[in-house]
Amino acid sequence: MSLTVDSVSKKFGRFAALNGASFVAPQGGFVSLLGPSGSGKTTLLRILGGLEFADSGMVRFADLNWLDMPARTRNAGFVFQQYALFRHMTVAGNIAFGLKVRPRAYRPSRSEIRERVKRLLDLVQLPGLEDRYPSQLSGGQRQRVALARALAIEPRMLLLDEPFGALDAKVRKELRADLRRIHDHAGVTTVFVTHDQEEAFAVADLVAVMKDGRIEQYGAPAEVRRNPRTAFVSEFLAA
Amino acid sequence: MSRKLVRPTEDPLWLKALLGAITVGFISILLLLPLLLVFKEALADGFGAFWKALIEPDTLASVRLSLIAAAIAVPLNSVFGIAAAWCVAKFDFPGKTFLVTLIDLPFSVSPVVSGLIYVLVFGMQGWFGKYLIAHDIHILFALPGIVLATIFVTFPFVARELIPLMQDQGRDEEEAAATLGASGLGTFLRVTLPNIKWGLLYSVLLCNARALGEFGAVSVVSGHIRGVTNTMPLHVELLYNNYDYVGAFAVSALLAMLALITLALKSLLEWRYADELAAVHRH
Amino acid sequence: MSAIGLKIPLPRSRHVLPGFSLSLGFTLFYLTGIVLIPLLALVIRPFELGWDGFWAAISTPRVLASLRLSFGMSALAAAIDSLFGFIIAWVLVRYRFPGRGLLDAIIDLPFALPTAVAGIALSTLYAPNGWLGSLLVPYGIRIAYTPWGVLVAMVFIGLPFTVRTLEPVLNEVGQELEEAAATLGATRVQTISRVVIPMLTPALLTGAAMAFARGVGEYGSVIFIAGNIPMVSEIAPLLIVTKLEQYDYAGAAAIGVVMLAASFIMLLALNGLQAWSARRR
Repeated sequence: MSLTVDSVSKKFGRFAALNGASFVAPQGGFVSLLGPSGSGKTTLLRILGGLEFADSGMVRFADLNWLDMPARTRNAGFVFQQYALFRHMTVAGNIAFGLKVRPRAYRPSRSEIRERVKRLLDLVQLPGLEDRYPSQLSGGQRQRVALARALAIEPRMLLLDEPFGALDAKVRKELRADLRRIHDHAGVTTVFVTHDQEEAFAVADLVAVMKDGRIEQYGAPAEVRRNPRTAFVSEFLAA
Repeated sequence: MSRKLVRPTEDPLWLKALLGAITVGFISILLLLPLLLVFKEALADGFGAFWKALIEPDTLASVRLSLIAAAIAVPLNSVFGIAAAWCVAKFDFPGKTFLVTLIDLPFSVSPVVSGLIYVLVFGMQGWFGKYLIAHDIHILFALPGIVLATIFVTFPFVARELIPLMQDQGRDEEEAAATLGASGLGTFLRVTLPNIKWGLLYSVLLCNARALGEFGAVSVVSGHIRGVTNTMPLHVELLYNNYDYVGAFAVSALLAMLALITLALKSLLEWRYADELAAVHRH
Repeated sequence: MSAIGLKIPLPRSRHVLPGFSLSLGFTLFYLTGIVLIPLLALVIRPFELGWDGFWAAISTPRVLASLRLSFGMSALAAAIDSLFGFIIAWVLVRYRFPGRGLLDAIIDLPFALPTAVAGIALSTLYAPNGWLGSLLVPYGIRIAYTPWGVLVAMVFIGLPFTVRTLEPVLNEVGQELEEAAATLGATRVQTISRVVIPMLTPALLTGAAMAFARGVGEYGSVIFIAGNIPMVSEIAPLLIVTKLEQYDYAGAAAIGVVMLAASFIMLLALNGLQAWSARRR
């Protein structure tokens, strides 16, 4: 049940955002896509989430031809950098959204939904905030809600697009640790995009250093640091 | 690999086509057709007849009257708008919200009511009616009445644009100027005015267009005396009711061209000076 | 004169910036003269008839019919403008195609065009021998000189209000929220109904209210196409004018007061809507 990304390419007009990116991650692994802006990491993540379509290449996950599925059937939780919380809904409404839109046959009962929301809020350490609105929360709290919302659908894959980019350093560290804890608890395959190498190395099992739409090096953090394979990788890590 | 999938935020092609067709169709039929018809009818008897209708003495008189009314109303309203924006944006005082609501009022009031109120004050049975007749002063059915009605319906334009604009710009620069010893007028001319010049121009443009085009309010106070107290829109009505269609549409074409020029200038200002126009998103 | 003499200290202004009294004074003077006093005349005038006289004046069948027509058709026009305004705003904000800018600029035409010009153009267009009117005659549909003409004119002038209120909000809603909904499993229809439309509700209501308020008071665009038959296609503003011509100042003022009251209520409702939507952000 590993995640296999094979030679994925994508162009926007004439700009090649992705140029044959490939990697393989084990089931339940935590991969970080690391690189400067323009390296294609966000594009690759969005392709995994179904928000963009690749021009060529293949992705297999859970025995499925991933790229042939529309976003809403992939069950891939996505966490955006700017939270993308639904402002007109409460925290509970946001978290429950993925459960409420399910077809009737798969929809849990209302009390069950309420239970799950409560458990998820406990998991992200925001107990009791069901009835608040996003505008009443701090940045860190909003991102926790976004995480809870993505987890509510019991995703088979968790995708995070620079989720802590808009937050200050202290909050980032806390959230980073919480994310790792939640990942280990849930065992969900996670792909995490960032341009911050300290963050990538602290939280991931496997790091993919990207440049110009390609993965320059891919491996465990310690391994990559010890043996940078290209000049770019060693420069990027030294910065 | 099948690529029949659409991005989740994009509408499927058939929907795009449907909505696009509805949009283009609705706008064309509702908005464009009347506009085209104005020009078509104006030129129905050829350009010669069109021109003759325009230079006819009563028509020229109506153009003159419209221009004079606008020439008085627009500058007065601009001064008001600047004064109102200055005290609302740069100072705090009780009753500010009420003041701003009052300024908004003519926008929500029917044009006929806007004219009615002056009839009630200056008309024969109005408050000052007897006094005016006794002193042979003519407000209604004459230029002063027309100017008053025009002022009423157009005075919010400049104020409504400048108030949020000057509020957005804050007081810092003016306060800095004050600490540097500038007088009130000097501060205004040198610091405030340059910052609001595009917003001012924009709102004066709209104010002017409305002043020249106002119908309902002016109709009530004007008396409709042909060649004397008819503004351009009133003259259009007169010609139309007298079955002089070429004439009516000729003057209309003139007004329509004014409207199109106003729209073009408005779009230009919005496009180039979006940051300096507070009200662009606020209509 | 010599310069000895007491230095009288100027009163300490409470304001940092100069010009407060001047600007406020002028503003109040202008407002009082141009707005308040004439409005006062309007509000007081009907009561020379006394309360009973006032009610009698506005509850005659003809007046009630005109009020019903003005308010009823405006409401219907506002609803139509909201529906089509939403579609148009959606297309103009989200789709890219040549000529989009031009189409967008044309939306403001009813704002910029003098009402009399719009009035005679619409009347000519929808008359039985007009470009559009003639197409509908075979189906037995008459627009000009009937209450439906009133509706068409009100839809014409109300459209900019709904489109222009929706466009900025649609812009703000943006892609991410819809993408989030999609990743959470929502179909497109669910996304639109549960995410997009609730976010647009304040703007939809505001636009509709503005279109309604404008339609109720509209005169020039409507009187040419309306037919103006008392009890059938006579709008309230026209009735005011008619009463003035008959020197029934009190009667005219009575209807005027009703319309003014409606305007005030709309203004308050709109302000309330703004405050409500601001709180939800």
